[in-house]
Amino acid sequence: MAILLLLSLYAYSQDSQTSNLNLQLGGANPQISNLNKEVLHSSMIGVGSSNILDTYLSSYNYTGTDIRIQRETMRMTNLWGGRVSNQSLIDLNGDINKNHARNIDEYAGGIRYSQGWFYNFFNGNTVNPVERSASRFNVAAGLAASGYLGVVYIDRSGNNPAQAKADLMIDVSALATYDMVIAKHHYLWRYQVTFPLIGMAFSPNYGQSYYEAFVAKHYDHNVVFAYPGNMPSMRHKLTLDVPIKRYTLRVGYVAQFNQSMFNHLKYHSYSHDFMIGFNKYLYRR
Amino acid sequence: MRHFAHNIFRFFTFHFSLFTIAACLLASCVKEDYFDNSKQGNYEALWRIMNEHYCFFDYKKQELGVDWDEIHGRYAYKINEKMTNAQLFEVLTQMLSELQDGHVNLSAPFDFGRNWSFYEDHPENYNDSIAKLYLGHNYHIASGLKYIILDDNIGYVRCESFEEGVGDGNVSVMLQSMALCHGLIIDVRGNGGGQLDKARTLASHFTNERLHVGYISHKTGKGRNDFSSPKAEYLDPASDGIRWQKPVVVLTNRGVYSAANDFIKCMKLCPNVTIMGDRTGGGSGMPFNNELPNGWTIRYSAVVYYDKDMHHTEFGIEPDVSLSLSGADLAQKKDTYIEKAREYLSKSQ
Repeated sequence: MAILLLLSLYAYSQDSQTSNLNLQLGGANPQISNLNKEVLHSSMIGVGSSNILDTYLSSYNYTGTDIRIQRETMRMTNLWGGRVSNQSLIDLNGDINKNHARNIDEYAGGIRYSQGWFYNFFNGNTVNPVERSASRFNVAAGLAASGYLGVVYIDRSGNNPAQAKADLMIDVSALATYDMVIAKHHYLWRYQVTFPLIGMAFSPNYGQSYYEAFVAKHYDHNVVFAYPGNMPSMRHKLTLDVPIKRYTLRVGYVAQFNQSMFNHLKYHSYSHDFMIGFNKYLYRR
Repeated sequence: MRHFAHNIFRFFTFHFSLFTIAACLLASCVKEDYFDNSKQGNYEALWRIMNEHYCFFDYKKQELGVDWDEIHGRYAYKINEKMTNAQLFEVLTQMLSELQDGHVNLSAPFDFGRNWSFYEDHPENYNDSIAKLYLGHNYHIASGLKYIILDDNIGYVRCESFEEGVGDGNVSVMLQSMALCHGLIIDVRGNGGGQLDKARTLASHFTNERLHVGYISHKTGKGRNDFSSPKAEYLDPASDGIRWQKPVVVLTNRGVYSAANDFIKCMKLCPNVTIMGDRTGGGSGMPFNNELPNGWTIRYSAVVYYDKDMHHTEFGIEPDVSLSLSGADLAQKKDTYIEKAREYLSKSQ
C-alpha cells in the first residue's frame, strides 16, 4: 500500500511538473478556462434502511430507518490543463433503530464533510458531461479529505449509553458518468464509489468509560490510526439526472458501508437510501 | 512531455484505485456476535458477555472462590428449550448471583434479577421515620441535600442519593447557612449511589489540598486479565464556593453503595472527617450495560476503582467508629448514629 501511495505521489509530481511547464508556456488553455467556470449544485434528500452494530453499546445489530440529506457542489478547475474537478460534499444522516427483540430504541446520526479533487480521464468533464464532454462516457478518479462527527445513543440507563464517532480521513474515490440519449433527451447516469484510505479516528478503549476519557482525562489509545485493515468501509452513490424543462431532477441510490475495528470494539453502520433532489448549474464569472 | 505525464498519472491513479477497491472488498465484514434467540443461545450469550466484560473475576475467585468456567458447566445443564422465560430468568439470575455484586443485574419486563446481599444480609441500622424526626418539617433542600441546624448548633445533612445534579453552588449555599455550627453531620445511610462526579463534587468541599484518593483501571480486551495500567485519581479542593474547615461526621451503613461508597472513600481521606456507623455496602465497579438476544438487559461491573493503596473496595469500607442502632434508643425515638455523632462533635469543639 505504501509503495503504491509513493508511486501515486510520484505520478502526481510528474503531472505537477507538466502543469508548471504549461504555466511557463503561457498557462492553461483559455478556451478550457472558460468551460471550467461551470458549477453544479445538487441537493438531495432520501430515506432507507439502517443497520448499526456498536459493540461498545451492545453485542447485537440494531435495524431501522435512515434519513439522509446530501448537498454536493462540483466544479471543474484549471489544474492540470483543466482536467481536475473539485467536489464538495455535505452528507447528513439520522437513524432510528431497534434491537432484534424490538424493545430498545437506538438513535444515531452524524455529518460528513469532504473536499475531493478528481482527475478527469479521456478529456472528460464530469461536472457537466452532457454539454462539455466529447465522449458520452466519462471517468474520473482522485483523492478527498473528509471528516465525520456523529453519535450513537441507546435509550437505556448506564455508563455506556452513547458512543461518539469522529474521523479525519483521506479517501480514494472514483466516479463515472454516462450520457444516455432517449428521444433527443439526455439522461445522465452517474456512479461514484469512495473508500476511506488513511487517517485518524476516535474510539474509547474496549471497556473504558467516557467518565475516564473526558472527566478524569485518562486517555488510552483514543485516537487511532485508521486504514482499510481496521476501517474497511465504502460508500456508493448511483444517480440519474432527468431533465424537466429548465430543471434537472436527480434521483438516486446511496449505499454506505462504514465499518471499524478499533481497540477490539466492532462497529458497522450500513445504510441504503433512495434519494431525490434537484441539480442547478451556475456559471462563475 | 505533457501527454507522457498524463499517461503516467492515469496509469497510477487507475491502478491505485483498483488496488484500494480490491483491498476493501477482500477485507472481512464487521459482523455482530453469533445470534441465537433460543434458551440455550441466551444462556451462552449471557455467560460470554460476562466472560468478556466483567472486571472482578480474579478478585471474586480470590474472595469467594467463584470459578466462571466451572459455573458455565454447572448451570448449562439446567437450561432446556421447554423451560418458560420465567424459569430461564431464574436460572440466569442464580448464575449471576454467584458473583455477589450489586451492580450485576438482569432486567426483563417482568422482573429485575439482583443480588443485594451486601445490605439485605445485614442490619439496616437506619430507621427512616426516626431519622425524619431530626429533620422536622422546616428543613431546606439544596438539589437533593436536605439540611437543618439541630438544637445543639450542629448541622445535619441528609444525602439519600447522588442521582440529582448537586453542584458547587448548592453545596456552598448549604455550608454558608451552617457556617456558625460547631460541626456537621452528613448522613448517607441507604445512599445507593448515582453520579460519581456529583459525589466527588460534594467531597471536594471538605479538603484544602489535592488528595490522592485511588486508582482506576478498565478492560482493554476480551481476556479476563486484559486491563489498562491503573491511573491515579485525585480529589481536587472545590475551586468555587465554600470549603468546610470544622469537624465532620459521616454516617454510613451497608446500604451505602457505588458512588456513595466512593464518597466515603474520598471523605475518609479528608481532614477533620470521621466516618461512623457500619461498613459500607461496596460496589467499586462502574457498571456498563449490554443485552441478550431476547432483549433482556444485563448490567455488569466494567471499570475497577481501587483505593489509594490499590485495595479493592468492592465489598465495602470500614468506618473509623463502628456503631449499631440501639433498641433502647429506638424505643425513645432516638437515632443512635445521630446521637453519637452529636456527642462526638460536641467533644471536638
